[in-house]
Amino acid sequence: MGSLSLRSIRKSFGPVDVLNGVDLEVRDGEFVVFVGPSGCGKSTLLRIIAGLDEQTSGDVRIDGRLMNNVSPAKRGIAMVFQSYALYPHLSVARNMGLALQQEGVAAAEITRRVERTAGLLHLEPLLARRPAELSGGQRQRVAIGRAIVREPSLFLFDEPLSNLDASLRVGTRIELARLHRQLGATMVYVTHDQIEAMTLADKIVVLNGGVVQQVGRPLELYRSPANLFVAGFIGSPMMNFIRGEHAARLGADTIGVRPEHLQVDADGPWSGIISHAEHLGPDTMLYIDDAQLGLLTVRTLGDCASQVGDRVTLSPRADRVYRFDREGRSIG
Amino acid sequence: MAQVEKLAADLPLLPAAMVGAEALARARRWHILVFLAPALLVYTVIMILPLIDTLRLALFRRVDGVPMFVGLDNFNILFFDPRWSGHFWSALGNNLYFFAFHMLLQNPIGVALAALLSVPRLRGQAFYRTVFFLPTMLSFVIVGFSWKVILSPLWGVAPTLLGAIGLKSWFHPWLGQEATALTTLALISVWQYVGIPMMLIYAALLGIPAEVTEAAELDGVTGLAQFWKIKLPLILPTIGICSILTFVGNFNAFDLIYTVQGALAGPNFSTDILGTFLFRTFFGNQLQLGDPNMGAAIATMMFLIILLGVSLYLFGIQRRMRRYQF
Repeated sequence: MGSLSLRSIRKSFGPVDVLNGVDLEVRDGEFVVFVGPSGCGKSTLLRIIAGLDEQTSGDVRIDGRLMNNVSPAKRGIAMVFQSYALYPHLSVARNMGLALQQEGVAAAEITRRVERTAGLLHLEPLLARRPAELSGGQRQRVAIGRAIVREPSLFLFDEPLSNLDASLRVGTRIELARLHRQLGATMVYVTHDQIEAMTLADKIVVLNGGVVQQVGRPLELYRSPANLFVAGFIGSPMMNFIRGEHAARLGADTIGVRPEHLQVDADGPWSGIISHAEHLGPDTMLYIDDAQLGLLTVRTLGDCASQVGDRVTLSPRADRVYRFDREGRSIG
Repeated sequence: MAQVEKLAADLPLLPAAMVGAEALARARRWHILVFLAPALLVYTVIMILPLIDTLRLALFRRVDGVPMFVGLDNFNILFFDPRWSGHFWSALGNNLYFFAFHMLLQNPIGVALAALLSVPRLRGQAFYRTVFFLPTMLSFVIVGFSWKVILSPLWGVAPTLLGAIGLKSWFHPWLGQEATALTTLALISVWQYVGIPMMLIYAALLGIPAEVTEAAELDGVTGLAQFWKIKLPLILPTIGICSILTFVGNFNAFDLIYTVQGALAGPNFSTDILGTFLFRTFFGNQLQLGDPNMGAAIATMMFLIILLGVSLYLFGIQRRMRRYQF
């Protein structure tokens, strides 16, 4: 119940190719996150899975059933939209029950399922209200509730947290992870926020330019990125890339070191001048400038005694230096 | 004690300061009046004063060329004097029929056309939109005259066209028969003005976010069910606006009937509505002499009917209706 299989999905809008052959297998119960910069095709891919857009070519299978030309309502899916897309004229309870009503489920059963879902999401006191009378976070929970009530085999989320403020976003993220454990359903989640991707996903799909760059577990992507794009996209602050002589010495076109894998070290091989420092409390970001190395970000634990303008020497952790070839692919 | 004295000594300063502040506030308020003045002046001169003067005129009667105050006697004549009341009640009845016809035909057709126009991937959308809206932009003189010619039993194209498909026997001089004239005029008016509700509702339909209809698609609410359950409730406020515009328009109507049937609103006053009745009474027509006082009484009644209708809508319906934020 709830596996998803995509076979060479292509999508063009006129002359513009948005998706260039996407293949993907999602096992039952997995939480998969599509992540990538805006315009990478992740939302289009989700809409194709939902049946809201039609792929130019390729096959979508849900639970092994071919879904091409199957209407969205018959795919056994439920979707949560970025703007929540609640029906403004219906109460929370009716918003959640409309799909069941349309399927012809008995009224008593609808009430039972709506109430159970409301319990799950702490929506009981809000059931009689209309969307306009709810806060953003509450609307979000109603939108999720509307999806859960249908008991779909596959949940689709289209950037569901991007309209929430920062603190609510963290809370809802944890809530979603809890729901996934509780329901055990397959979830496909689109976001441009790599923190959401890292914290929620069983499996991350990194997309860029309509092509899947890498598929893997969060730490897999962090530890062994397949190419320059994934290396730069996963991890915050971004990985430092160094080209030229320093890279050539290691037999690569480009080398990459994450800020947390650089140390301020009295006898390190690299040196530069601190151009800016950000004191965040638990750690400090140092921006170090050097003519040859370019601008490097270094993450040091705790507070740092060095001042802007100081020259410091750096050493990278030897086992955490990534090498990339001319095409940007990772080397060994 | 010394403190109290000190306070007392300070006190006179306070009102002085307040006067200063008040003067400042008053000086600040002046600009509001200055900015309001042009609109207020124009509106007063061309709308409010004539309205008040009409109400005043309705309370007088000219006896031997001298205005004489008669109170509400003109209304008494209008409602109960058989020479007047027959025309008045018949015009009011015709007007109500005219309005009901528009509500039952014009607005539903407007909604239907708007719903069809907003179907995504409809080809020639701009063309249909323009075609449906075109009659609204035409002058009522052109519309009235065209239809009069089209439906004429002597040189109209209607009998010829019906003849071409073998239905010549269906043709009747619809505008010339008491039983059908008003309905025919109402149909012409619907044809002309259906573009207005269509455009307003079309805009309202386009205002419904795509994600809401997509959510409905996913919930299995598609096609007609989607229209009835999702879209219609969301455009109800706009339909309300269309209704009130229709009401005001219909009870002020005059032009189309005057163009097609003349001021006598024939045949035998069967298309007489309040507008034409007012026109004949106020300005006179053929053997009837103009009577500004009785005309003002009719105009006052029209004003009161529209005021009543609009108030009922604003306080009875509009208040209960929700405008939705998306």
